[in-house]
Amino acid sequence: MNRRDFIKAALAAGVTLSFQGNTSMILSSLEAAEKVDLAVAHGVSPAGITKAAIDGLGGIKRFISRGDIVVVKPNMGWDRMPEYAATTNPNVVSAVIKLCYEAGAKQVKVFDRAVVDPRRCYKQSGIADAASAVGGIVSFVDDRKFKEVKLPGIALKSWPIYTEAMEADKVINIPIAKTHGLSTLTLGMKNLMGIMGGSRGRIHQKIDGSLVDVAMFIKPTLVVLDAVRVLTANGPQGGSLSDVKQLNMVIAGTDQVAVDAYGATLFGLKGADIGYVMAGHKAGLGTMDLSKLKIKRVNI
Amino acid sequence: MTKKIRIVTQGIFLLIFLWLFLQTESKGANDLGYPVKVFLDADPLIFITTIFSSREWYQTFYLALLVIVATLFLGRVFCGWVCPLGTLNNMVGSMKKGRPRTSTENWYRFKYYILIFLLVSSLFSLQLTGIADPLSLLIRSFSLAVYPLVSYATSATFDAFYNTNIPFLVNGSEFTYSILKKIFLPFQQPFYLQSAFVGFLFVLILGLNLVERRFWCKYLCPLGGLLGVLSRYAFLRRSVSEDCNDCGACAHACQGGAIPNQEERWKNTECIYCMDCDDLCPRNAVHFGFLKKQPVAGMDLGKRRVIGSILTGLIAVPLMRITPIARAGVSDPRLIRPPGALEEKKFLRRCVKCGECMKVCITNGLQPTLFEAGIEGIWSPVLVPRIGYCEYRCTLCGQVCPTGAIKRLELPEKNEVKIGLAMIDKGRCLPHAHATPCIVCEEVCPTPKKAIWFEEIRVINREGKERVLKLPRVDLELCIGCGLCEAKCPVLGQPAIYVTSVGESRSRDNQLLLP
Repeated sequence: MNRRDFIKAALAAGVTLSFQGNTSMILSSLEAAEKVDLAVAHGVSPAGITKAAIDGLGGIKRFISRGDIVVVKPNMGWDRMPEYAATTNPNVVSAVIKLCYEAGAKQVKVFDRAVVDPRRCYKQSGIADAASAVGGIVSFVDDRKFKEVKLPGIALKSWPIYTEAMEADKVINIPIAKTHGLSTLTLGMKNLMGIMGGSRGRIHQKIDGSLVDVAMFIKPTLVVLDAVRVLTANGPQGGSLSDVKQLNMVIAGTDQVAVDAYGATLFGLKGADIGYVMAGHKAGLGTMDLSKLKIKRVNI
Repeated sequence: MTKKIRIVTQGIFLLIFLWLFLQTESKGANDLGYPVKVFLDADPLIFITTIFSSREWYQTFYLALLVIVATLFLGRVFCGWVCPLGTLNNMVGSMKKGRPRTSTENWYRFKYYILIFLLVSSLFSLQLTGIADPLSLLIRSFSLAVYPLVSYATSATFDAFYNTNIPFLVNGSEFTYSILKKIFLPFQQPFYLQSAFVGFLFVLILGLNLVERRFWCKYLCPLGGLLGVLSRYAFLRRSVSEDCNDCGACAHACQGGAIPNQEERWKNTECIYCMDCDDLCPRNAVHFGFLKKQPVAGMDLGKRRVIGSILTGLIAVPLMRITPIARAGVSDPRLIRPPGALEEKKFLRRCVKCGECMKVCITNGLQPTLFEAGIEGIWSPVLVPRIGYCEYRCTLCGQVCPTGAIKRLELPEKNEVKIGLAMIDKGRCLPHAHATPCIVCEEVCPTPKKAIWFEEIRVINREGKERVLKLPRVDLELCIGCGLCEAKCPVLGQPAIYVTSVGESRSRDNQLLLP
């Protein structure tokens, strides 16, 4: 369902409701019609808060339509177990996949171009097992499936991008919030590096512009930022439980810059402190000005 | 009938061997879950020479003892019924027609000379068995040459279909490809230094079957030699009844060169109990049975030649040792051994160059040496980080090593082991030399507290603009030498950060920092 369909549906709902004359339902439908930019859910169940955050934005049906082929892109770039907060929480990933299928998705594909050995990353992160258990189609990245495409050119004019991500009807980005030596933090936009082919080490020379280029190109339908546990030092790989902080939060939004700007606040920073958030804001990809956003907070 | 049972048995063992070979690959879990080195564990030659050379008992010897006991009773059944290289020789040899040569009739002695050489040199701590041991040789050849070749050829074929972009063709080929990937293709294409060399030797050994069937088994195999010695007084013996009319059919069929048509010269040490003579005999005159007091021919190796082999084995020890291999700071600095490898001298006494560790290495970083570790250390494992680094949480090489040359480490222990130290080449490093942001080495550094840290500095570029740069530094106390930084360094060719063996935990002398 795209935004236009949503407005139509809301109008239709308004009309039928007005016949029934139920004022409280009309009010709630008006509230839903008022766009929530970010939904922040807090609670002990990773799956529960994932659903709550997406519901806060208006529910999965706002994003996924019947028959969609969906790509879910977690961070499973490192050979670490979930409690080390170097990879996305497997329960968050499986909760999103489940919701997609409930909304009628035809296929939900899961992959990431891991930095170290993919077999270990997929297995040890717990994501491959969790995703398969709910019907996610987990595959290793196939080098033949990268295709050189034109990018906006802030830093990169073109780059090989994974065709499965480009050809999907919807892309849902599910990063985990953690520190990063070069870019201070790795959040949603940085997580999209997992669909990039080629020699990614070179990206670091112009990291901010490069990330904005890819984010503008791929435009995920939804970003679900996992902050159930965050990694506060020695990221992005971590390896010490003392660097992990349990926040029990999931943040969902459609504005990539806004989600990352909110993510920065989890570490006591502002969006403007993060180079690529600033660059995304400037390029018009989204806004990092949280005061202008409607943020819905849910505690469960 | 017995021949058929024998062929089926050979087939089963070959399939077990191949299946275990395919299982010698990570699935992402910490343990492999299969006894992939079981054939090497069952190899009495490796067992005996390793005990000789290392002067230590080692754990997994039950199977080797079983083979020894079986041979004492039954003779060389291992060669005829079990050995996977023997089976392959058997298969290739079946393409050769015609009578066995009589001119090579006495060449069987060579394998005993090789055996004596290996036993003597191992007794004096030089372990060269792996070069010629059939199981070691077979696993090495499969790992380094045959399997990479098959994988490459298969992938290239399917890639060609894939690139046609004709939908029905691509769909069909991709479906088949995905099945082959599940059944026997490796997770990623393996690449090895010297695969052509190792592969050539293997093809040569198989090719010799066209000169003489089971050429390797009859004339060269030192394990065959050892089992031959053990089978000297075996109870399972061959008898020929008076129905024999000297037709020679058995001599024609004999796989072992045991010359069975001249009964008084039947060499039980050469018989591999293939039972072909029993099956083929037109008059049904040949029988195998227990405890019959059948006369057997002596081994007849020749005193002088035996002494010669002993002396060669003796001389080889100092000859191979007059290299500076084990001296800190003198040996090849890129001789980075896998984590858990024993101290170099002890390592070489145990490594049988089977290539299991290279096969299982998750990043393909473990490669065979040529002369970096001396002739003695040929085909022993060395980590080449530019090809593949040592995966921080992987312990597979120690799990598959048959002789304990690479100790099996538990994860916490492995994470502490240094296999070398990384150092930065400031002349090539992007931030250091070219005022360009990078810091990939810091990003990937896998130790919980990163061994690579950075210093922020302000520099003025050519345009007079100020830039903040992060300069990488290596914390030598924390660095474990895994080489992930070197593998991922975007400065291609000669990397701007690289590992050398200095600082490796296993060495007392090859150290840099004060303890």
